Amino acid sequence: MDPSAVISLLLVGLARAMILFIVSAGLTFVLGVLRVPNVAHGSLYMIGAFVAFTIATAFGQSSAGFWFALILAPLVVAAVALIIERGLLSHLYQREHLMLILFTFGLMLILNDLVKLIWGAEYRSVTPPEILDGAVTLFGFNIPRYSLFLLFVGPLVAVGLWFLSNKTRLGKIARAASVDREMVGVLGINVSWVFAAAFVIGCALAGLGGALVAPTTSISLGMDLTIIIESFLIVIIGGLGNTWGALIGSILFGVSQSLGLLFFPQFAIAFPYAVVVIVLLLRPRGLLRSAW
Amino acid sequence: MSRKIFVLFTLLALTAALLACTGAPPTSAPPTSAPATSAPATSAPQATTAPPATTASTTRPIKVGIVDTYSGPPAAFGNDALNGFKLALSEINKDGVLGSNIEFVTRDDKYQPDTALSMAKELILEEKVDVLVGTVNSAAALAISSFAKEQKVPYIVWIAKSEAITGAKGHRYVFSTSENSAMAGKAGAEALAQKPYTKYWIAGEDYEYGHAIADAAWNNLKALKPDVTKAGETWWKTGEPDLTPYLTAIMAAKPDAIIFATGGAGMTNVLKTAKAMGLSDQIPIWIHTAIDTSVLKPLGANAPEGVMGTMDYLFYYPETPENKAFVKAYQDAYGAPPGFPAFHAYNTAHFIAEAFKKAGALDKEKFIDAMEGLKIDSPTGEIEMRACDHQVVEPLFMGVTKKNPQFEFMTASDIVSVAGKDVMPSCEEVLKKRSQ
Repeated sequence: MDPSAVISLLLVGLARAMILFIVSAGLTFVLGVLRVPNVAHGSLYMIGAFVAFTIATAFGQSSAGFWFALILAPLVVAAVALIIERGLLSHLYQREHLMLILFTFGLMLILNDLVKLIWGAEYRSVTPPEILDGAVTLFGFNIPRYSLFLLFVGPLVAVGLWFLSNKTRLGKIARAASVDREMVGVLGINVSWVFAAAFVIGCALAGLGGALVAPTTSISLGMDLTIIIESFLIVIIGGLGNTWGALIGSILFGVSQSLGLLFFPQFAIAFPYAVVVIVLLLRPRGLLRSAW
Repeated sequence: MSRKIFVLFTLLALTAALLACTGAPPTSAPPTSAPATSAPATSAPQATTAPPATTASTTRPIKVGIVDTYSGPPAAFGNDALNGFKLALSEINKDGVLGSNIEFVTRDDKYQPDTALSMAKELILEEKVDVLVGTVNSAAALAISSFAKEQKVPYIVWIAKSEAITGAKGHRYVFSTSENSAMAGKAGAEALAQKPYTKYWIAGEDYEYGHAIADAAWNNLKALKPDVTKAGETWWKTGEPDLTPYLTAIMAAKPDAIIFATGGAGMTNVLKTAKAMGLSDQIPIWIHTAIDTSVLKPLGANAPEGVMGTMDYLFYYPETPENKAFVKAYQDAYGAPPGFPAFHAYNTAHFIAEAFKKAGALDKEKFIDAMEGLKIDSPTGEIEMRACDHQVVEPLFMGVTKKNPQFEFMTASDIVSVAGKDVMPSCEEVLKKRSQ
């Protein structure tokens, strides 16, 4: 097999993994701090993509439109998340997990119908900015510039999350609250607002993922379903609530898919799922330490 | 208590805020259940007790049951078809059929074969519809088809394109007003056979239509040009968001040409990724429906040029008065040009009306006899319901994607029209498949 083909597929697989990482990092963050399995996470990702489309269209699908969309779409999703958390979710933390899953599942259905009401059922598309349009030739293979951009953004988000949870007061409190929320409350810290902040950050990552994926795909209803299944799998194999686990899980998922394509194209669909099964057989609690 | 009220209030506020922030009212919110009918709940059983054919009128409206997809990505097709059907009914009901009107009820199958089947059951057993029509998903259409056969209710498929519907799994009670994968595959194969390519790669979405169109194109191509070879196949699941790894792997194999077998949102994805990777500049591509407006419109100038495609309806071609009148009526009513589902549904409505007029009675068996060989004038010319297999005979258009200064999106150029009978399998071939 051509080694340059392997390298180029490794690169595009990693680029795909970066979007999966950004979305599943948000999911795992919420899962770790709030203990809420947010089934509506995929819907927020979809809203991020649709909002990115609306903003990009407002700027005539220009390069500037894309950059504004990339910044504003996560903020819009964050605002939606804040309303959901303060208005609904914050009253439900004492309930058992099944109730929380039911609640977020209901939320998913509502959000999906709202997307259909607002944007309709047609497919939408966002034009990538000029600087990221087209492909560059590396090792004799065409790699989309946008994939290289994703390879740059992914690690940036990973470092940002690491900084947030290890170097800031909010992050430290959030980590402490995920271990023992009552004790943190006893120390005089307003846990309620820490949870709100964690939920908003997690959801904003879904929005960012949606905005980032917008130029590479057709934005349509149902795009939430694929991503929510994949990110739950990634979160599970990475270890619940573990951001680094999400990173490793995403890379395993993305790279196994792209390399599987090179060697066994007819079985490519099953490849990432086979990896998930193998990981869970060997390490049923996930690759890295779970926060639960 | 106040907490509950607060939760309720926030839920309402959230809904209102999300609606207000874009302010766009739904352009074509689909009815999820039974609109527009006031037929009595206990409509009399038809078929056996219908008045004899000599009395050419009935007091009861003709009831059409629509099972189609109104949620998820394929809803764009379902809505377009419903609009086309409504437009045709507004013309038909001016004069009426058999002294009454055509009415309809809709059900959303959510793109799921099992949901489609239970909706079809409800429409036949509870709503007692005279004719069943729909849907997008080929597997769903096949599921409804076998139930319609059991219940002896005519069923007209209007979007799904699998050739199995009127081919291997066809029967007396099923019709198709859509071009099918056998026709599209043969048209594509004939175009490709004239090109110098020999090493092909086949890739597409792993579902009924994807495999049907790929098989049809490949088998026809192989028959027309025996020296072609298949370098490999790649299949991805429907809704796969990022096709870059798939296309990179295909490019690594360096085929002479690629046959993509995708539909709906997957089409947009393939074209977008092919453009971003520069794939379409290096390797020739054929995709059925690549020149479809619903595929090219969302991409704007972002679609690749020079992709070969086939289609049975284009709102800008042929430039005949009939097509222009249809496009204008549709555009005035719904604010956008009609897509192929609207064209199929419009024709379906006229087929139903003409067949009942010809049958002279509200009788399902007589309706089927009348449908066989029936010819109607469609916006693209005369089309025929072939008697032997109940497949519509209509022209196909082949072209390549190209920028068009008239529109903000690409359209087909160098359009060649192919007669339906030239690309359809013969009656003997179809009947042989059915007997196997």
